[in-house]
Amino acid sequence: MTARILRYEIRDELLGILREPTALFFSVLMPVGFFALFTAMFSGQATESPSTAMIVPFGTFGALAVVLMNPGIGLADARERGWLRVKRVSGTPLWVTVVAKVLAATPYAIAVLAAIALASVLIGSMPIDVGQLFRVIAVIVLGAVPFAGFSLAVGAKAGTNASAAILNAILMPSAIASGLWFPHDLLPGAIARIGEFLPTYHLARLAMVQVEGGPWMAHVAVLGATALIGTLVAAMAYRSARP
Amino acid sequence: MESILTVRNLRHRYGDTAALAGVDLSVAPGEFVALLGPNGAGKTTLVRSVIGLLEPTSGTVEVAGGSPTHAAVRRRMGVVQQDVGFPRTLRVREVVEGAAARAGADPAVAIRALAEMDLTGLAGRRASDLSGGQQQRLQLAMGLVSDPQLLVLDEPTTGLDVASRRSFWATLDRRRQAGAGILLTTHIVEEAAAVADRVVVLDRGRIVAEGTPGELKRILPGRKITARTSVAIETIRAADGVVSVAEEDGEMSISATAAEPVVRMLLEMDPGLNDLVVATPSLDEVLFALTGTDREEVAA
Repeated sequence: MTARILRYEIRDELLGILREPTALFFSVLMPVGFFALFTAMFSGQATESPSTAMIVPFGTFGALAVVLMNPGIGLADARERGWLRVKRVSGTPLWVTVVAKVLAATPYAIAVLAAIALASVLIGSMPIDVGQLFRVIAVIVLGAVPFAGFSLAVGAKAGTNASAAILNAILMPSAIASGLWFPHDLLPGAIARIGEFLPTYHLARLAMVQVEGGPWMAHVAVLGATALIGTLVAAMAYRSARP
Repeated sequence: MESILTVRNLRHRYGDTAALAGVDLSVAPGEFVALLGPNGAGKTTLVRSVIGLLEPTSGTVEVAGGSPTHAAVRRRMGVVQQDVGFPRTLRVREVVEGAAARAGADPAVAIRALAEMDLTGLAGRRASDLSGGQQQRLQLAMGLVSDPQLLVLDEPTTGLDVASRRSFWATLDRRRQAGAGILLTTHIVEEAAAVADRVVVLDRGRIVAEGTPGELKRILPGRKITARTSVAIETIRAADGVVSVAEEDGEMSISATAAEPVVRMLLEMDPGLNDLVVATPSLDEVLFALTGTDREEVAA
């Protein structure tokens, strides 16, 4: 029975994404547009291959934007409308609601990554082979999931508009300091060093490892810790939140 | 008959304020109980405890023998809550299908529930685009998909037009006859009197009266007499058994401990007396007497 409820919850979440074309437009088009712009801007810089340097961080940003924003804002909206109360009274386990929100964000994140990959092909050359692309997408999507805990924690406590503002305030500085918008090696030293402590940086580096190789355990450890802390924070926030 | 809902010595505090101060309540299968009381009486706290949204400070709530804190027990209830907004992106049919899935029911019952609430024609509309009354009917349709043993309705007819309200009550009556217990809060006192088997009056977290609408009306002693008469208001006021007299547009409105001596006096003194009406107090007046609150304040 729980599987059936989960199926309907995911269906409702996906319908929510598909029927909000404005949100879809911005969350897909914005990272793709900036990817194209920044790839062109940094094509003359002495850094890694520009497309390689950009497709991974912008892909990471695109997926994070979806996984960090959607579940929390959706939860806040459901809470404000009283819809979460309806689900709770109907006997829907909370974890089903939460898991559905996170799972529904996954294909959305894959769509963003696919759009960036397509843009990469259209504006020049795809710098990585298909196998690498699939590995990068898998790592970014799976690695972004731990961030959903923080998203849900914000959505459990703040209103819809406040959640959007708070989550943006978390995402944008983290993305910049982690080198998701500008190549990390071109950032001012202090900001670059701060970025190295952020899980967003480690997610992008772990994805880059799929292309360039290199050590990966530290990145996995940071993301594992992020998943643990995110889950705890989300659970604590929900317990103290009014349904 | 064993109750479908049993509330025993329920207490709940918000900080220093006692929202519920020892409430005992039961609803039998096929029984319709209306819960009345002024703002802050504790109705919403009681309803939230019954539907499992609130863990009371002490006391117990049992629905069909189980605690509503368990999801399986909550699925035996159909609930219409106040202040519920539907997601912007779901259509009416999808909302009810989802409710059927959560209740473990066949999705086909969604179609029947929509038909029962006269929402079939709106099945393809976005739920959030429905009017307030239609959304209330949609909530009841969601509540019906599990074929509930208990229906809990918190101000369900707010925003309903007359025809929708009639259809709403007809649906509830069918469910009652099929054996479902119904607990209703409403601020429309006449509505409670018309549909409920039993009325429970809650005030400051305590039940101050309960009984059939007829029994409650008998709580207030005496009768209310109205008539057009030439007898002076001072004369009436001085008569034995008269509690109060008011005059408006030539009509006397008299409260008396008993009707007969006052009516006899009026007829003897004024052979031209007309428009004479003798009535028992209304449920509104009973509520006012019990809680000191007028009807505008009797909201959930």
